[in-house]
Amino acid sequence: MFAYIIRRLLLMFPTLLGITALVFFTMAFSPGGIGGPLLDRSGNMRGGQQQYIRAYYEKRYGLNQPKLVQYARWLNLISPIGFRSNDDGTLGSFGLKWPSLGESMQQHRPVMDLIAESLPITLLLNLISIPFVYGFGVVTGIISARHRGGWYDTATSLSQLASWSVPTIWAGVMLIGLLANRQYIKLFPTSGLHEPEAVFMPFLPHFMARGWNCGWLFDTAWHLVLPVVCLSYGSSAFLTKLMRGSILENLDSDYVRTARAKGVAERDVLYRHVFRNSLLALITVAASILPAMIGGSVVVESIFSIPGMGKLGVDSVQFRDREVVMAVTLIGGLIGLLSQILRDIIYAMADPRVSYE
Amino acid sequence: MTEIGTITPLGHGELLATESASSSRSYFRQIVDSVLRRVGAILGAIWIGTLVLLAVFSPLIANSHPCLMEKDGHWSSPMLAHLSAGDVILQTLFWSGAVLYFIPKPRRQTRLILWICVSVLAIGIFPFIINPPTIVEYQIYREDQQAGKIEKVFYAPIPFSPDDHLFDQMEMRLTAPSRIHWMGTTSDSADLLSNMIYATRIALSIGFISTGIALIIGVIIGGLMGYYVGWIDLLGMRLVEIFDAIPTLLLLLCFVAIFTPNLYIMMAIIGATSWVGYAYFIRAEFLSLRQRDFVQAARAAGLPVRSILFRHMLPNGLTPLIVSASFGVASAILVESTLSFLGIGLVNEASWGNLLNQAVGEGGTFYWWIALYPGLAIFLTVFAYNLIGEALRDALDPKLQENK
Amino acid sequence: MPTPLLEVRDLTVAFDTPRGQIRPVQNVSLSVYPGQTLAVVGESGCGKSVTALSILRLIPSPPGRVLGGQVLFNGKDLLQLSEKQMQSVRGKDIAMIFQEPMTSLNPVFTVGEQIVEAVQLHQNVGTRQAYEIAEQAMQDVGIADPHKRIHEYPHRLSGGMRQRVMIAMALSCRPKLLIADEPTTALDVTIQAQILELLRKLQEEKQMAVMLITHDLGVVAENADAVAVMYASKVVEYAAVNDLFDSPKHPYTEGLFRAMPRLGRPGGRLQTIAGAVPNPRRFPSGCKFHPRCPRMNGDALCTQKEPELREIATRHWASCHHIENFAAAPITPPTSDAIRKDAEAPA
Repeated sequence: MFAYIIRRLLLMFPTLLGITALVFFTMAFSPGGIGGPLLDRSGNMRGGQQQYIRAYYEKRYGLNQPKLVQYARWLNLISPIGFRSNDDGTLGSFGLKWPSLGESMQQHRPVMDLIAESLPITLLLNLISIPFVYGFGVVTGIISARHRGGWYDTATSLSQLASWSVPTIWAGVMLIGLLANRQYIKLFPTSGLHEPEAVFMPFLPHFMARGWNCGWLFDTAWHLVLPVVCLSYGSSAFLTKLMRGSILENLDSDYVRTARAKGVAERDVLYRHVFRNSLLALITVAASILPAMIGGSVVVESIFSIPGMGKLGVDSVQFRDREVVMAVTLIGGLIGLLSQILRDIIYAMADPRVSYE
Repeated sequence: MTEIGTITPLGHGELLATESASSSRSYFRQIVDSVLRRVGAILGAIWIGTLVLLAVFSPLIANSHPCLMEKDGHWSSPMLAHLSAGDVILQTLFWSGAVLYFIPKPRRQTRLILWICVSVLAIGIFPFIINPPTIVEYQIYREDQQAGKIEKVFYAPIPFSPDDHLFDQMEMRLTAPSRIHWMGTTSDSADLLSNMIYATRIALSIGFISTGIALIIGVIIGGLMGYYVGWIDLLGMRLVEIFDAIPTLLLLLCFVAIFTPNLYIMMAIIGATSWVGYAYFIRAEFLSLRQRDFVQAARAAGLPVRSILFRHMLPNGLTPLIVSASFGVASAILVESTLSFLGIGLVNEASWGNLLNQAVGEGGTFYWWIALYPGLAIFLTVFAYNLIGEALRDALDPKLQENK
Repeated sequence: MPTPLLEVRDLTVAFDTPRGQIRPVQNVSLSVYPGQTLAVVGESGCGKSVTALSILRLIPSPPGRVLGGQVLFNGKDLLQLSEKQMQSVRGKDIAMIFQEPMTSLNPVFTVGEQIVEAVQLHQNVGTRQAYEIAEQAMQDVGIADPHKRIHEYPHRLSGGMRQRVMIAMALSCRPKLLIADEPTTALDVTIQAQILELLRKLQEEKQMAVMLITHDLGVVAENADAVAVMYASKVVEYAAVNDLFDSPKHPYTEGLFRAMPRLGRPGGRLQTIAGAVPNPRRFPSGCKFHPRCPRMNGDALCTQKEPELREIATRHWASCHHIENFAAAPITPPTSDAIRKDAEAPA
């Protein structure tokens, strides 16, 4: 098993290489090239100034070099073994060095800082949603399968395809418009992750001199309700259907017949024998749930103005901010591949028939 | 050991299996389910059909140009005069298709070929001969009418074009639905209903054509991988992995950022990013078909690769792809709406996605009609395709088929 | 005369399908006495498995249901018990093993866990003791090295091993009756012989009755004390095994015997029963065998009226309208010795 994990981790590198190369050269061949919109931003300036700014950018970020060289330089940047770069931009000595993600052309800040600010937020959003998705899906699926044909089951089946078809953008807009709006019901905050006063709030709720203060924790939680709902409803519906189908399929199998013949009560047949086998189907799809949700969180972050990595990615692509785009791609790809590996490991642990020796 | 009896048409295991397959749902539930499936799919098909009609006839349904106008004693039809080449092409395709479908005489294939010829001719010729005037001022008709310069005038049912910004009226931005503007107006002071009708063209074409492109790419790559196993397969798998692991939206953003978002480019881009599922599927089908006897026989007889692929293997593997394609169309429509909503997709033409973007204004004002109608349209269309996909899947699933 | 351990009286089972109701079991009656082996013989689709499942009430309730009859076990009608009472009968008083050992065990639990589950359901013992019982049961069925094997997952065992595990599981609570639904059909011939011998041995040791469902006359000859022959949902002949092999009365049974190839008896082609087994949705009217019956000579009685199971000789029942007429005309059935010898020879 250990050897298998190592092997998978090593195989990640060529795939990541391919992903980053694909994205890089797509950016490079776009009109304006890398950093294009940045360079052209200076529309109102006189010709000379524009030239100056252009030259500055090109020198600083090496934008006038051949594309392949730029890509190679980026690879060099992120690898722990490579050429160190001197302050004037030339290559220094070869050896171990700290990997770096570079500097954002648009914001003139280290990309690492940008990522450190935004990645936790996106992860927070997604990692909170996943338990909801799975919890809801599993529970609803079990109830539906247990009382199949009943009203709960019929209602769930009908609404499941419908909820899966609701576009996230529409759900987000409607939720904001109806539940977070002065005009209708202002139950939830409209945007962001915190109220402006949140910085001053204590972490947990308690009474203060000015009255009840809900605390930073609950403030954040309250802000997260609508985005999490938006992110989860589609996947929950999908998982419900999957779980129900898996349970029903297993209920028809031979080993269930054996269990019944042994005298096992129907309840135990479901929760002991069938449940574990049905979960296997859900684990298989788990690897695609996380990347799908990260994609979905791009939309949710935009609608709800949450400063996460998705929003960072969208903004940086619009400016073709090379380092940021590459960093976001790298991390996004990494998450996708890691979740695939994690899924395979969990599956091997859950199903005794599977082994990677 | 000898077996009793001669023929055993129904194995005892099969008897129990048939019963247990249908016993997994109650009798009533089974009926309800199959009826609902069919009803759902039929409703979905009706909705899509309605959209197709709206798309084809949109300039005749919603147009600021009057259908017929008598001015200074002359009758004219500004509507017809301003039909673009695309409009005329669509009309030609539609009517020729309808006529050819219903006449019984020549064989199906001949009629199909005829239709394709007509389409190609239309697409090739009309853009050159049909050139409507490019500068249009819609408010002239209304002003003239008010001034009494026009004797008789007949408008289309919805007398607004999507790009008519109502310059003759004050402050018509973002007005709520009224008797005149049935779905209200947008932030550009254009009639929302008119925009939505024209946007059906975008939704439908993106759906079909991107999925078509994705299917072609996927089938080719997957087919090659499944047929020529070996290093082609290994290479292909790496390619599939890359496209699979990459955050799709990011890839799309990058691709879209290359070119100015134009309808045709969008179709190509969405097609180029969603082929992975089909490739995987076809590869799996081909890998299993390779072992089958009829393929081996064909190879032994010396048939060329292409022939084996297209005439023997492909027809078998394609049927389940139809189910996948239906869901793929739904997904393509969702993707386009999302990108347009984010401001990255289509910006020039009105699509349901970028209409939805106008729903929440600055300062948090919520314009409910702009949120409701475009969103509802996207939802119904996606839902319709999903329903059709589900119904197809149930129809093709061997497990659910009744014995005899 | 001892009382039967299990007595099925006039059992009729129906399935409601969207295309109508079918009755795979109609008016079936049979008995199993303590310590005895009853073989239920018939072709695929004749209703023998459904009968067995109905005894333990394992038929899924929509769409299947019992239309009538009684299943008396030690005098108690099992069909009247509540589900909870039934659960304490299953596995404890009556146990059942099935045909497909490959899929009949839960793949995510070890074989030990599954046997222990059966033990703990019906006996009030702690886990450690339960494992000891399980190990002993595995030893009894001839699994080598049970102490190690008990922690294996089913997919690591061969088909024969898995069937032994199933038997161990079934016998772990010492049931009085074991229903074996074609336990060896899915196994190799050599394993088949081993499993059957094992069953015989266990039956003797534990004084257990066995209801053996099979389609193989050779197995019947070796293992059965009494035989019930089923055709198209009905019992057509029912007798002690010697009586059946010596003089089969029903034309179907006769046809079966005639169809068996016999070594050392040169003949021409194998004699088959003309026609095919009827589809349960379209059973023939009257006697279900009449389309294929050599005794039928356009007799209206056979096409209109179903024959009843009558005792036509001592403890020998058959259902045919023409028993008496044809009893005199010899079909020369082979002697029981010859059949057993032929049955023992490899096929």
